[in-house]
Amino acid sequence: MTSIFDSLQITFAGLNLDLMILLPAIALIGGTVIFLLMAVNALVAVYFERKVSAFMQDRLGPMEVGILGFKGGKRFWGGIGQTLADAIKLLVKEDILPNDADRVLMILAPFIIFTGAFLTFVGLPFSENLVISDFNIGVFYIVAMSSVGVIGIILAGWSSNNKWSLYGAMRAAAQIISYEIPIGLSLLLVVLVAGSLNFGDIVQWQADNRWFIFHSPFSFLAFFIFFISVVAETNRTPFDIPEAESELVAGWMTEYSGFRWALFFLSEYANMLIVSIVASTVFLGGWLSPLQMFNIFPESWHILDGPALGLFWVFFKAIILIFVMMWFRWTFPRLRVDQLMYLCWKVFIPFGLANLFLISLWELLF
Amino acid sequence: MSEYFSNIVYGVKSFLTGMKLTLNHFKNKKELVATLQYPHEKWPVPERNIGFDHADYNLIRSRLHVDIDDCIACMQCEKACPVDCIKIDSIKPPKGSEFDCGMTSNDTQKKMIVSRFTIDMSECMYCNLCVFPCPEECIYMVGGPNASKHEIDYEFSQYERDGMIFEFADATDAMIKEAGGEKWIEQRDAKADKQDQGIKLEGEVKIATPPPVAEPVKKEDGKPAVKSPTKSPVTGEFGIKSFNSISDKMCRGIAKKTFTAAMRAGKDQTAILADVAQALSDAGKMTGDIQAILDSLSTPVTPVDSAEPEVEVQDGAKSQKEAVDPPQASELDIKDLNVIEDKMARGIAKKAFTAAKRAGEDKIEAVTKALQDAGKLDGAAETLLSSFTSVQVPSTSSGETDSPETQPVVDEAGSPEQSSDLPLFDIKDLNDIDEKMARGMAKKIYTASKRAEKSRVEVINAIKAGLSEAGKLDEAIEAILNKLETGS
Repeated sequence: MTSIFDSLQITFAGLNLDLMILLPAIALIGGTVIFLLMAVNALVAVYFERKVSAFMQDRLGPMEVGILGFKGGKRFWGGIGQTLADAIKLLVKEDILPNDADRVLMILAPFIIFTGAFLTFVGLPFSENLVISDFNIGVFYIVAMSSVGVIGIILAGWSSNNKWSLYGAMRAAAQIISYEIPIGLSLLLVVLVAGSLNFGDIVQWQADNRWFIFHSPFSFLAFFIFFISVVAETNRTPFDIPEAESELVAGWMTEYSGFRWALFFLSEYANMLIVSIVASTVFLGGWLSPLQMFNIFPESWHILDGPALGLFWVFFKAIILIFVMMWFRWTFPRLRVDQLMYLCWKVFIPFGLANLFLISLWELLF
Repeated sequence: MSEYFSNIVYGVKSFLTGMKLTLNHFKNKKELVATLQYPHEKWPVPERNIGFDHADYNLIRSRLHVDIDDCIACMQCEKACPVDCIKIDSIKPPKGSEFDCGMTSNDTQKKMIVSRFTIDMSECMYCNLCVFPCPEECIYMVGGPNASKHEIDYEFSQYERDGMIFEFADATDAMIKEAGGEKWIEQRDAKADKQDQGIKLEGEVKIATPPPVAEPVKKEDGKPAVKSPTKSPVTGEFGIKSFNSISDKMCRGIAKKTFTAAMRAGKDQTAILADVAQALSDAGKMTGDIQAILDSLSTPVTPVDSAEPEVEVQDGAKSQKEAVDPPQASELDIKDLNVIEDKMARGIAKKAFTAAKRAGEDKIEAVTKALQDAGKLDGAAETLLSSFTSVQVPSTSSGETDSPETQPVVDEAGSPEQSSDLPLFDIKDLNDIDEKMARGMAKKIYTASKRAEKSRVEVINAIKAGLSEAGKLDEAIEAILNKLETGS
């Protein structure tokens, strides 16, 4: 498995550039790609979310705004230009900093959160050879980087000098730090079985054996613990107590507007994509096609498992998981703070620990 | 412990139940989505049962409708309407015309065609009074309980307020013309034009202002000071302002930029102009007009513009007394005229001087005449001029030197050319015009012309032209304007 970073370095090796120039240039290319991906992801996912929510509530969602006269459909999928229009509106909005806010921290916070999401993409595998930088500790890197955001959230809540913001930040900190544990335990299960922290090795293990979700009852359970925990980690309903619009206005985002708020928004949807890609890579076979797993199709169909389609399969699985997250959001009411903590500390962590113990036995026995 | 696990089982169960519920809604959106995309889609009209006889009560959510084929233009409904929301125009074909106006459905021969039948439903108060007098029963309320008679939309909503005015007449222009209604069409079009003008606020007649001409007086006045040894003699008149006559903004900018750069490089006028021309053609902005301007700049510029003298006239005669200081030179030089203190008089004198010089005429005579014409010839100037010549200033002018204000009075009796030298009349003089619109127009033109520094005759001609264009120039107004032109 070669990364984009390595292949670009090899490609440009002939130019005999100074490393001081070459490395930042490659980093810039990678960064641009990531940023574009984040922006497009937010545009598409917001539209998708609005449509999914509307259909689940027997509405139609945005139906009026098209792009250059193309509206996408008359009956259901109209209004595809809506999020683009919203994004433009967001960028031209007034940028407000409250008088009593801690200006430095308040300006800094969205960038920390954004950086956390942005850096995570560096280690994220989009396909077999499509990863910006292929770490041998990929899983650990992503878990670590996705926790950076919580610093930004606490800063945002504190610096806003607003009780709702502070409540939201406190809740977010408690929630995110708590749910890191079941996430870590679930991933540890995979690492224990696959024997590597590298995404490439984990997927290779699944190619050699079977998708991890079907490996054992314990890994099956681990997937659900992982998935529900990442939904909580991304502060999405039913775990959105840090935002809790009916209690806290907008939680730690209350005092933000314009582009800073857009950064929060971008990061939130980027985080959705990140956790979905991680879940699909670690538990659902990553860039392996589902057809190959069942192994009932003729040889000629194995073209679907080719490297060109790896990207497709990763995003296919990720989008299904994103849909499930939206499905959660428009199904369940918000949990109370104590219920949230109960779920994490009294259900997921004991089950996760038990899982880890039992899968070790399973590995010993089989 | 068992409660703990049963709680978890219950949680998972309710979790799955909820997911199933929303997924069902998602999957069955075709049947379940309740939204009606209102302006694009509408519910069908429900079956009516309003609980009483429809024929007795047909005013609910209704509007007037006219079967225009049956209308004989009897105007009964227009007269009956208490709020005057019905407007009918009709055209009767002239006697002996072959034009057939058609038959109504009651087999009545129509005697005229309806060229206009508008009902303003935003004014209508649904009193039904227009319905009863109609002899052909062609105007009635629809859309209410008797909507079955005419299938039209039931909500009567419009995107704009004008949409509430319904036109029922269907006579084409060709038909109207055939029936002898050319005049009616003309009037209608004129009215529409007027409305358009009002909407676009184009009522004001714009008069093009003449291109600004560099004031020669100032330039020559400052010439000795501005002149620097490094520049060629002609550059005295040639400056960045010379490019102001270029009308296109971008070209002007380019020209000025190039000029400044070239000046800094110490180039002379010809080189600068070549640079400017080069820069403009590089930018693809070189047009015939600009070429002409540059050409005119490249020929040695004299500050004279013979078309100019009227400009100063309107400011009236307010020449000042000045110290008599006749230079002792035997021939009149342009610099000698600098002793004239009044700026305007000096300008006029210098212009006349240069013109005369070029034409090879007697300079002193020309200057004297010019000053006299402008009413600027006072004692000092006269003395100055007379010191250079034996030719005496005409004696008539000497009487006026002390009282220049009386000058216009003398000229009044003169020919039209002379009257152009009259000071501009007052805007209040236009109040004699009786008709409001014509007065307004005249005043607008007056103000515009005044700003453009036009002379009396020009202003009056402009007003005449403007009014006749608008078809407002009648004999009374013409008489008033002629009176103003002669100044009485």
